[in-house]
Amino acid sequence: MIIEILFQEVCGLYGDSQNPTYLQATLPDAQFIFTKLTDTPYFFDHDPDMIYIGCMSERTQRRVIEKLRPMKERLLELIDKGIPFLATGNAGEIFAKHITYVSENIKIDGLGIFDLTVNTDYFHRYNAMVLGEFENLKIVGFRSQFSFLYGDNSDSYFLRCIRGEGINTKSMLEGMRKNNLICTQLLGPILPLNPLFCEYFIGLAGKTVQAAYRESAMQAYTQRLEEFTNPKIPFKHD
Amino acid sequence: MKKVRFFFAMLSARFLLYVLKLLGRNATFLPGKIALKIDKDFLGELTPPKTVIAVTGTNGKTTVSNLLNSILLKNNYTVTNNSLGSNVQAGVATALLADSTFTGKAKKEIAVLEVDERSSLRIYPYIKPDYLICNNIMRDSLARNAHTEFISYIINKSVPSTTKVILNADDLVCASLAPDNCERVYFGLGIDTQHEEAPSYLQDIVYCPDCGASLTPEYIRYSHIGRLHCSNCSFSSPEPDFVITQIDRENNAFTLQHHGKSEQYNLINDNIVNLYNFCGVIALLTTIGLSYEQISSAFESTKIVKTRYDKLSAGKLTITMQLSKGQNPTACARCFSYVAKLPGKNKAIIFVGDDFEASESPCWFFDSNYSYLNDASINQIIFTGPRSKDQYLRAQIAGIDTDKIRISCDSKSGADILDIEKSMDIYVLYGPYMVKEANIVKQKLIQLGNEESVS
Repeated sequence: MIIEILFQEVCGLYGDSQNPTYLQATLPDAQFIFTKLTDTPYFFDHDPDMIYIGCMSERTQRRVIEKLRPMKERLLELIDKGIPFLATGNAGEIFAKHITYVSENIKIDGLGIFDLTVNTDYFHRYNAMVLGEFENLKIVGFRSQFSFLYGDNSDSYFLRCIRGEGINTKSMLEGMRKNNLICTQLLGPILPLNPLFCEYFIGLAGKTVQAAYRESAMQAYTQRLEEFTNPKIPFKHD
Repeated sequence: MKKVRFFFAMLSARFLLYVLKLLGRNATFLPGKIALKIDKDFLGELTPPKTVIAVTGTNGKTTVSNLLNSILLKNNYTVTNNSLGSNVQAGVATALLADSTFTGKAKKEIAVLEVDERSSLRIYPYIKPDYLICNNIMRDSLARNAHTEFISYIINKSVPSTTKVILNADDLVCASLAPDNCERVYFGLGIDTQHEEAPSYLQDIVYCPDCGASLTPEYIRYSHIGRLHCSNCSFSSPEPDFVITQIDRENNAFTLQHHGKSEQYNLINDNIVNLYNFCGVIALLTTIGLSYEQISSAFESTKIVKTRYDKLSAGKLTITMQLSKGQNPTACARCFSYVAKLPGKNKAIIFVGDDFEASESPCWFFDSNYSYLNDASINQIIFTGPRSKDQYLRAQIAGIDTDKIRISCDSKSGADILDIEKSMDIYVLYGPYMVKEANIVKQKLIQLGNEESVS
C-alpha cells in the first residue's frame, strides 16, 4: 500500500501533521511517500492508494495551487478512479473555483473541482466545534479559520452538521466530497480523534484494519462525543 | 486641545482604578477598557513617557518585560509597565493612565509595554514605540494566532517605520520583521548547544520568502531557531550584533560580545529560551544607553518571578514548578525538552491541565513535540484535567510507554496519583491560568515529601 503525503513540511499546521503519523501507526506495512513542495508529486505518474494534505498558511495555499494547477487533469483522473484523498483544514479550498484573500487584496483561481468560492479574511478568525454525521458515523472536530466557502454543496458535502456550522455560517453542510476525495474544514488530528472514521477512510483503499491505539483513541472519542452532545457546551469560541 | 470626552474617560477610569485598588484588586484591565469605551482615541491623546519600549513576540514577553522593568528600576529610572497585567490595548491604556496626570501627561521617564502581537494594530498607531524588542515569532494558540505568517503580517502592518527594532537573529521569521525599519539591532547565541533535528513540519519557515527555494540550515537549535540560508538567493540569518559566546554553569556566568567588547553577566537561568531573553534585554538596554556596569550589577540581583519558575525541596523530593503555556505548542515543547535534558533520572512530570479546555481545541497537543517526553530519565508522566485522555493518546502516538502514564480528570490531583517511591525529582508544568491549581499540587507535594522524610 502506498500513501502519499503532500507537502507536509508546510501543510501540517495545527496538529494536522499527526494524521500521517497516526496512519503510519495504523498501517505499519504501508509505504509512505512524503512529497515536498519542491518535488514532483508521486501521483503525477503513479497511482497511490491514498493521498493526504493538511492545513497551510495562505501564502502556501497560493503556492500549492500553482504547483498543482498543471496537474488538474491528473487529479481529476485519480478522483474518478476513487483513490481516497483527504484534505483537512484549508487544504480543501484549493479545489474551489476561486479564492479571494480580502485583507491582502488578492484573488486567484483555484483548481475548480468544486463549484464553490472562498473568502479569506485575516481580520475575522472563526473558531468553532463541529459534531456531524457521515454515513452513520458521528464525526467530532474543530475549526479555526480565516475563510468560508460559498456556493451550493448540497450534493457534494462531507458532513451534515448536528451541531456547529457548515461551509459558512448559514450552512449546515460541512466540507466537500467527490467520490473518495473528502475535503473538510475540520483541522488538526481528525484521524486520531475519530478512530472510526480513520478505519472507514482506510477501508476506502480496500483495507480493513483497526485504528492504532484503538482503546485510548476510543476513550478520548467517546468522552468528546458526550461533551459535544451536551447543550451547555458552546460551539463557537473566541 | 484635548476633547471633553478624553477628560471624562480619564476621570472615569481613574475613579474605577481607585475603587478597584481599594477593593484589593489588580485593576490592570478594566480602567483602560472603560477609558477606551468612552473615548476610542484615548491612547492617542495621552502624552507617553519620553522613551517607549514595546516588548512583543510569541514566547518570553513577560520575562523580558519583567527583566527590563527590574533593571531600569534598579538604575533609578521611573518606569511605567504592564507586565503584571493585560498586554492588550486596555491593559496598555490602564498602565499608561495610572502613571499619567489628569491631562494625560506621563509622570514617568520610560514605558516598558508588553504588547500582545495581535494587539499591535490597536496600539502602535497611537503609542509609537521608540524601541521594539521581539524575541521570537513561533506557532502559538491556533485559535488566536493562527500561524506565523499572519502574526508577521499584523506586526509589519502596524510598527512605525521610525521604531528601532531589536530582533532575534537566530529566528528568521522574527529577524525578517519590519523590513522597512532601517534601524535594526540583532542578537543571538554563539554557543555550542545541543542541536536538534526538528521535523520540518514543526518549523515555521522552511522555504525562502524571497524566492521560494529551500532554506538550508547551518544548524537548528529547536523548531526553526538556528541559522539558515537560502540555497538559491542571498536571503539568510543576519549576523547578530550582540551574541552570547560562553556559558559558565560552574560560576553561574555567561559571556556576551558586542561591538568588539566582551562582557560577563550573572547567569540567572540556563534554559536556552531564557538565554535568548537575557541577550535581547542586554541588547536593548545597551542600545538605549545603559552602561555595562548598570546592566550587569542589576543582573546580579535579578530573578525570574516565582509564578513562572520555582524550585524547592521537601524531604527527599525536589519540586520544580515550571510555567508551560497551554495552547502554545512550541513553549510546551521547550519545557519538555528542558526537563528531559536536565541531569538526573527517575523524573516525574505532572501536567496541571487547563480546566477551560473542556470546549477548546486539543489540536495543540498534537502540534507540540511530545517525543521529548519519551526520555529514559522520565519514569512517570501524569496528565490531569479534562483533556487528560487526549494527552494520553498523544503521548502514546509519540511512542511513550503507557506504563509510565497516569491520568486524572481533576487538575488538582496530580500529587495524589504520583508514586513518590518511584520519583524524587518532580516537575509540575502548568499554564498561566492554572497557577492556583498548580499551587495546590505544590502544597500536596511538599506535604508528601515532608511526611516521607518523617516516616
